[in-house]
Amino acid sequence: MQSVENLVTQIQGLSSSASDISVLHNILKAADDSLRSESPRLLPSLDQLDPSKHSLGYLYFLEPCVYGTITKERANTLVPIIARFITSCVAEQIRLAPEKFITVCRRFKEQVMLLEVPIRGVGPLLTAIHKIQASTEHLTALHPEFLQLCLSSKCYKTGLSVLEDDIYEVNQPRDFFLYCYYGGMIFIGQKRFQKALELLHNVVTAPMPTINAIACEAYKKYILVSLIHHGQFSTNLPKYTSSAAQRNLKNFCQSYIELANSYNTGKVAELETYVRVNMEKFESDNNLGLVKQVISSMYKRNIQRLTQTYLTLSLQDIANTVQLNSPKEAEMHVLQMIQDGQIYATINQKDGMVRFLEDPEQYKTCEMIEHIDSSIQRIMALSKKLTAMDELLSCDHLYLAKAGRERQRFDFDDFDTVPQKFNI
Amino acid sequence: MDFSPLTDAMASKSYDKIADICDQLMLQVAADGVAFEDEWPYAIHLLGHLYVNDSNSARFLWKSIPSAIKENQPQVVAAWKIGQRLWTRDYAGVYEAIRGFEWSQEAQPLVAAFSEIYTKRMFQLLLSAYSTISIEDTALFLGMNEDDAKNYVQQQGWLEDPASRMLTVKKQPIVTEQKLDPSKLQRLTEYVFHLEH
Repeated sequence: MQSVENLVTQIQGLSSSASDISVLHNILKAADDSLRSESPRLLPSLDQLDPSKHSLGYLYFLEPCVYGTITKERANTLVPIIARFITSCVAEQIRLAPEKFITVCRRFKEQVMLLEVPIRGVGPLLTAIHKIQASTEHLTALHPEFLQLCLSSKCYKTGLSVLEDDIYEVNQPRDFFLYCYYGGMIFIGQKRFQKALELLHNVVTAPMPTINAIACEAYKKYILVSLIHHGQFSTNLPKYTSSAAQRNLKNFCQSYIELANSYNTGKVAELETYVRVNMEKFESDNNLGLVKQVISSMYKRNIQRLTQTYLTLSLQDIANTVQLNSPKEAEMHVLQMIQDGQIYATINQKDGMVRFLEDPEQYKTCEMIEHIDSSIQRIMALSKKLTAMDELLSCDHLYLAKAGRERQRFDFDDFDTVPQKFNI
Repeated sequence: MDFSPLTDAMASKSYDKIADICDQLMLQVAADGVAFEDEWPYAIHLLGHLYVNDSNSARFLWKSIPSAIKENQPQVVAAWKIGQRLWTRDYAGVYEAIRGFEWSQEAQPLVAAFSEIYTKRMFQLLLSAYSTISIEDTALFLGMNEDDAKNYVQQQGWLEDPASRMLTVKKQPIVTEQKLDPSKLQRLTEYVFHLEH
């Protein structure tokens, strides 16, 4: 067993070239258990190491220090050390011990939350994600932690920077659930409802053996955002949704389903009454803000419906049909919707009329062609990924063993054995 | 704290960069463990968000400001008042909030620039949403007195009907780049060809 001092010397000596570092890694792995038992002595030794040079050794020394219950006082000591380490460490070195790095970062997040200064963790965790991530297509265990900090510190805009990347590689289902749930909340905050729906939909329809709380909460928000954005909600889930979700989600979100039913009647007064009666429920779910947006979206939906029937309509008629108090109020609603690009119309104040127009987009500008082209490119890339994944799966031993067995069991009557393609 | 990127941006009137610079700086000083709240230029930061039409971020920033600062720094409250009016779409109220406060020497140019860009945004909104509009409302939307507003829009070719005190909006033809790169068309053609065969 090596003494701490000895290890410090070795870390200092073996941190420059890649081959040195792999030697060092073996030494550190062997010393891992003893380091853990020495943890009180490790923190002072960190002063002799430079996080930007001896990143791997630093990490092995730092990790045992973050275990156990952390008091505020201890968090105050650790937070600046870890923040500095994350910012200055070398990505290639810490990637040799990703679990340790993730543990340190996770505990760091808990500590800034404990100190009630989530904003202190936002920058370092974003750096941490970039350093540990193999590519932007990989979801790391730090993604959800980072997004949670963004939400707590109200730095929604910063959260967008990781949400813009398309994720294809996921290790832990839980990370994926939380990532999509928090991501959905960030997009809701930025009023980018389409993206929010996409992420929340991912949570609800992801494979799950049993129902989980994240999926339930995501489903509640999904219902609300779907009403705000599309003005409608359908309880039908796509076929690929897990049976656990299909069976249980609705039971856990009953009041939200009823809210959607009430919304579908198109009557604002009815919806408002329903919300008043169930106020507490929505409030305890922290969804009251969204519910209020649902109510105000109803006026919009009702106006939008009018555009499908009429070419021109007086402001007075609009006010009457959608239950607004005055033509002026109707005008303001229409104006807002034009501003947000929800309808195309022109208001004629002189005659008190609104003329509804077609979408002026003619799909012939350079910008639009670029857009179409890039969408096609993305779909093609996605399709290639799917094919690759499919091929990988059809060579997977576990899958083949199971698929082969089940086939025999179910197709008992016909003599169709395992297809030739599946050569096990 | 090193505010030089911010002061540079203010000096060069790159107001569209203010919000991003402030966001970055704030995360950086927070990560260093600096207790930045008391010295933070919240008013400038808020106005920076509003300048780039990001009232969502302005609102979240406002929510994160400690209450002691909200109580002691009237300029921060005044800056958020503009944001609040934008948030509630109180179009004319935005101008009231701008005029209703003696802005500090530092904030003044940013507020003036915001006011100008907001007027332009409002003009574009009226242009896209109205075929006729009263002079009175036009003045409210543009934050001017009725004569100035009339002059402003008449320069853009709007016509006045003195009898009804209404303005007829003159739509501007939207100029977009239509010239296509032939290789782009070629590519789209290939996609379609591929799909059909």
